[in-house]
Amino acid sequence: MRFLLKRLGFYGVAFLVAATFNFMIPRMLPGNPADIMLANSGGMIAPEARDALMATFGFIDAPLHEQYFAYLGSIFTWDFGLSIKFYPMPVADVLMQALPWTLFLTGSALLISFSIGTLLGILAAWRRGRLTDVIASPTALALQSVPAVVVALCGLYFLAVQNRVFPTSYAFNPSLDPAWSWEFISSVLYHGFLPVVTLSVVLIGGYLITMRNNMIGQLGEDYLAMAEAKGLSDARVRYAYAARNALLPSVTALALSFGALFGGSLITEVVFNYPGVGNLLYLGIVGRDFPLIQGQLLIMTLAMLLANLAVDLAYVFLDPRLKRA
Amino acid sequence: MSDLLRTFLRNRKAAIGLTIVLIYVAIAIFAPLIAPFDPVARVGRPHQAPSAEHWLGTTRMGRDVFSQLIWGTRTSLMVGIVAGLIVTAIGTAIGITAAYFGSWVDDVLNFLTNVVLVLPQLPLLLVLAAFLGQVGPWAIALIIGLTSWAWGARVTRAQAMSLKTRDFIQASAMIGEPTWRMILVEMLPNLLSIIGFNFIGSVIFTIITEATLEFLGLGSPLATSWGTMLYNAQTASAIMVGAWWEVLAPCAAIVLIGIGLSLMNFGVDEIANPRMRTLGNVAKALRIEKRLTRQRMQEANQ
Repeated sequence: MRFLLKRLGFYGVAFLVAATFNFMIPRMLPGNPADIMLANSGGMIAPEARDALMATFGFIDAPLHEQYFAYLGSIFTWDFGLSIKFYPMPVADVLMQALPWTLFLTGSALLISFSIGTLLGILAAWRRGRLTDVIASPTALALQSVPAVVVALCGLYFLAVQNRVFPTSYAFNPSLDPAWSWEFISSVLYHGFLPVVTLSVVLIGGYLITMRNNMIGQLGEDYLAMAEAKGLSDARVRYAYAARNALLPSVTALALSFGALFGGSLITEVVFNYPGVGNLLYLGIVGRDFPLIQGQLLIMTLAMLLANLAVDLAYVFLDPRLKRA
Repeated sequence: MSDLLRTFLRNRKAAIGLTIVLIYVAIAIFAPLIAPFDPVARVGRPHQAPSAEHWLGTTRMGRDVFSQLIWGTRTSLMVGIVAGLIVTAIGTAIGITAAYFGSWVDDVLNFLTNVVLVLPQLPLLLVLAAFLGQVGPWAIALIIGLTSWAWGARVTRAQAMSLKTRDFIQASAMIGEPTWRMILVEMLPNLLSIIGFNFIGSVIFTIITEATLEFLGLGSPLATSWGTMLYNAQTASAIMVGAWWEVLAPCAAIVLIGIGLSLMNFGVDEIANPRMRTLGNVAKALRIEKRLTRQRMQEANQ
């Protein structure tokens, strides 16, 4: 319990730091978003609207610390202002519409790549130097250095353009209405296939290598020789003994991979025109929609911190020593 | 030092990786001699398929893809190395400082590192680049370098902490060596493998991230790099019109340098940690063992 409280405190402070960054970035860099938007609007925005725009970004006529507290207040009331690209929708609403798609994409990819990668890593370490290891490990090593943008573009070219096996964009067939019908769900799965596979391919190498290395670290341990000497089955020694202990550092590595997960999801969404928050960030940047950009960064940070918290919970479950502490 | 190099090269993976990377470095250095055309000049009809004249075809602007690829190698490698140096310098300094001084210095630095680690990096980079406007490759190198040191700091700190408890470090502390000597002469050389690992990993990360940022249109469109090639291909809908060469060429370049660098990194890892030495060597050992067993059995039978 104390462990979790400590972590919660840490995430609170981390969020505050991220929020402060978000507050500082537009204020420290040359120019301000309102002027950039005025210049880019080509006369579409009346110059009189400048003050209103400045206020939208929190550039109110007040000392810096008052601006900061006003900004912090707006975060906790979930008020990120109005989107410019999707005017007059509030940024919070725009983001909430996109969030489920990103969660679906990252969640499925994480589940697939972590379970397959970890399982293959266990087998590769157990049969070190044999066929599984000789094929899986160098492949994982190569995959680890392939960026998401390359996998996504190649998938798009070979499986959606060259051979029209999968659709090139959107999360579901636009002629369907969202409903809990088989038709709609199958359309979602069909459209989600390439993005999910892309993201899984990017992530799987890292998990495989990490698990393999952790397993190898366990191999020489006495407790494994003991388990074997007791005559336990090979599978039991492998999964219930060695893998269980090797999993702990792998779960730590899992938390460190969330950055790659969200980054990869961003790229995948852009390439496949998938309507998640990453694609929204991209549209926001292209359209100079600063309230949207800032709101998106906060949502992303929150998602990162919650994912890390989930890993901490898993850690307590996997490591009984923490329950007592 | 030559001993270290020999050990490094005896590792097959490291040797292959180093060869790939050296070929890239040679291409980057001799780019003006290798590239047949000016990378930004219109030298052919738009979207020509690969031919004897244009080895990798042309872009929609009629630029030679092969020449762009060659010049892009220069940009991508320079950005990767510069950012890699910044990342390694900051990460190593923070990691060693935290581990060596301990107490509140460690608390503060470790907290800082952990905070940076849980922030979503790519979105943060995107936002920075967006507010800065379209930035050139050097600015990208600087941004990536200044924001990506946390992982290196964490692993260096862990390694340095375990080093600090070793006898020879305790002994040199007891004979009163000055702090700078403790850090630079006693600790740093023993952290070389983790520093090298960190550097090579950062170069890979930077090359990938630079290409990603530029692909999303946040780089300067005037620069010639693999990322801007992808960006131009995307805006020209090269994939949709079937101009695969415009997309696959930079993709292949990025993947191959990535593989070369990570092979080198695996070499470093295997040298530092012999337990990881497996793939080829263990397979070879197993084969030899099998042959010996067979021989012994035959001898026994005779």
